[in-house]
Amino acid sequence: MHLAVYVLRRLAYMLVALFGVSLVAFVVTRLLPGNPAYMIVGVMADESTVIAVTERLGLDLPIHEQYFRYIQQLASGDLGDSWRTRNPVTTDIGARWPATIELGSAALILALGWSVPLGIVSALRRRSFSDRLANALSGFGVSIPEFFLGMILLLVFFATLEWAPPALGRTLGDVPPHTTGFYTIDAILAGDWEAFKAAAVQMILPAVTLAVTVGAPMVRVTRGFMRETMASHHIRSARALGVPERSIVLRHALPNVLLPVSTMGAIMYGYLLGGTVLVEFVFARPGIGKYAIDSISESDFAPVLAAVLLSALSYLVVYLIMDILHFVIDPRTRT
Amino acid sequence: MTGSRATPTMDAPPLLDIENLAVGFRTGTEDASMPLQGVNLRVPRSSRMSLVGESGSGKSLTAAAVIGMLPEGAEILRGSIRLDGEELLGASKRRLRDLRGPQIAIMFQNPRASLNPVLTVGGQIAEVIRTHSDAGRRDSHLRAIDLLDQMGVPDARRRAGDYVHQYSGGMAQRAALAMALSCQPDLLIADEPTTGLDATLQQQVLELVVEQVTDRGASLLLITHDIAIARQTCERTAVMYAGRVMESGPTASVTSSPANPYTTALLRAFATVDEGRMYAIPGTVPTLLDPLVECPFASRCPEVGEECRDGVPELRTIADREVACVKA
Repeated sequence: MHLAVYVLRRLAYMLVALFGVSLVAFVVTRLLPGNPAYMIVGVMADESTVIAVTERLGLDLPIHEQYFRYIQQLASGDLGDSWRTRNPVTTDIGARWPATIELGSAALILALGWSVPLGIVSALRRRSFSDRLANALSGFGVSIPEFFLGMILLLVFFATLEWAPPALGRTLGDVPPHTTGFYTIDAILAGDWEAFKAAAVQMILPAVTLAVTVGAPMVRVTRGFMRETMASHHIRSARALGVPERSIVLRHALPNVLLPVSTMGAIMYGYLLGGTVLVEFVFARPGIGKYAIDSISESDFAPVLAAVLLSALSYLVVYLIMDILHFVIDPRTRT
Repeated sequence: MTGSRATPTMDAPPLLDIENLAVGFRTGTEDASMPLQGVNLRVPRSSRMSLVGESGSGKSLTAAAVIGMLPEGAEILRGSIRLDGEELLGASKRRLRDLRGPQIAIMFQNPRASLNPVLTVGGQIAEVIRTHSDAGRRDSHLRAIDLLDQMGVPDARRRAGDYVHQYSGGMAQRAALAMALSCQPDLLIADEPTTGLDATLQQQVLELVVEQVTDRGASLLLITHDIAIARQTCERTAVMYAGRVMESGPTASVTSSPANPYTTALLRAFATVDEGRMYAIPGTVPTLLDPLVECPFASRCPEVGEECRDGVPELRTIADREVACVKA
């Protein structure tokens, strides 16, 4: 299939998927008990004020009309307003999503950095030290909850050893001039080394926390695929013709393993970009996950819907990029 | 290409000489087994030898031992494998790797699975060539194309850049053969090379293997469970049973006047398949947990006698062949 046709089809499919997600999310948030009008006007207001606000928000309309209005809004790029922050949701998200993307990307790089090499090495040497290490680390990472690991890291590296700064937002230094919204990258672009350091140290502990929990299943998956590939007929054939072990691992086995492992990486990245609620909470990082949770507890519908849509969009976009990459790398998808 | 090879005679030292090869599995004391119980097999230079037997008789394991690629947990208990006079058992990994390709090559069943799905077919052949020579990238690719062409892959120049999933079963087998022959091996081991191909393709592939091996003056060790294939392709045949060679000699005489009752039974099983009825050898294959103490076929043999239980019969030369049967 031609790549352009393929991408167009996938984009169309993405729109349909987003539409479906918006419908489900909209219905679910509207079915939640609680009228935001009460929250907005406060406990002292009288009934007529509540009714007036309810009408102003359109909450008295039948649900399908409310949804239709919402979709019209969305089509014009408007995600609605948050009554809690009193900002357009697009503004709030513009301020928070970069924090999530920045952390998620750092966590993914760290996770891939330890899990894939460890998975490969441990697959090559069964019952070796690296195999045992892989077992221990992945078992640990899979079974420990993120927030708990985050707290332990804070306890050890901030409270006890005092190596890490207090977990207070994205930076304790200067906020670099806004270019991309990612503090670390903006600091580099501005050539401000101090600002970069201040932003980076705030990311280390949460990124390590996520890298451990996200990397753990990846170790197992990588090791599993590597073992399977090394036991395959084509590897045996290549060995039987004297192909050196180095080439067997790097040229013959690795590409076969990286295809499924990259899919798994994409799933993890999609998850990270949707906002990691608990880790953002523990480290007080103003990201999209924390924004969504704060909004849910106050019946602030528009930000919740926006967070759900963004989460879905991140998955879909990451998958699309992954599939395009596979289309280019894997000869089997090209015919 | 290598016209300087000596003409084969039975007296010349064999190309491959397996003597008393025993292989055991030591995967914990419980499942310890001994699937090869002292295999004796000689493949002369520039000859074609088939190794026939039922599943589990040890054919493929013998081949694995020759190329030094026994499965995990298996170990050589005793014996010797000499290739061109050189002892392979105990040879360094490095030496074995250097031998694989230019001296021994093997092609397995299922050619599609034998080629890497994410590397081009030509690229894989070229890599094997580069591994064993100082040919450059371009040169090795040209030779790969040439080999594919010789194996009858049409439009070889273009097909070399294709991947195995773009090849049909028959073409994939030709590509696998091209790869196996890419470094001019003296011995080609073909392990059930036509399993899974339909009858016409099977015929074509076998003819190609025989033609290519013969043209190169190489020897063929063809592993098969199908006596008909052995008859068609190989001038010599060895029959394996329960980890031992029971009889070996010229294919024509082994299959027309078998000297070992096991060979007789095996031939009868094949003959009756053709007639539409099945003849099954009574009894079951012995489980090879320990070293044999008697003829492995004794419990199933119609001609069994007291003397068959007095130890394992060794291969004895009788007329034109070798037979492991005290009654022969």
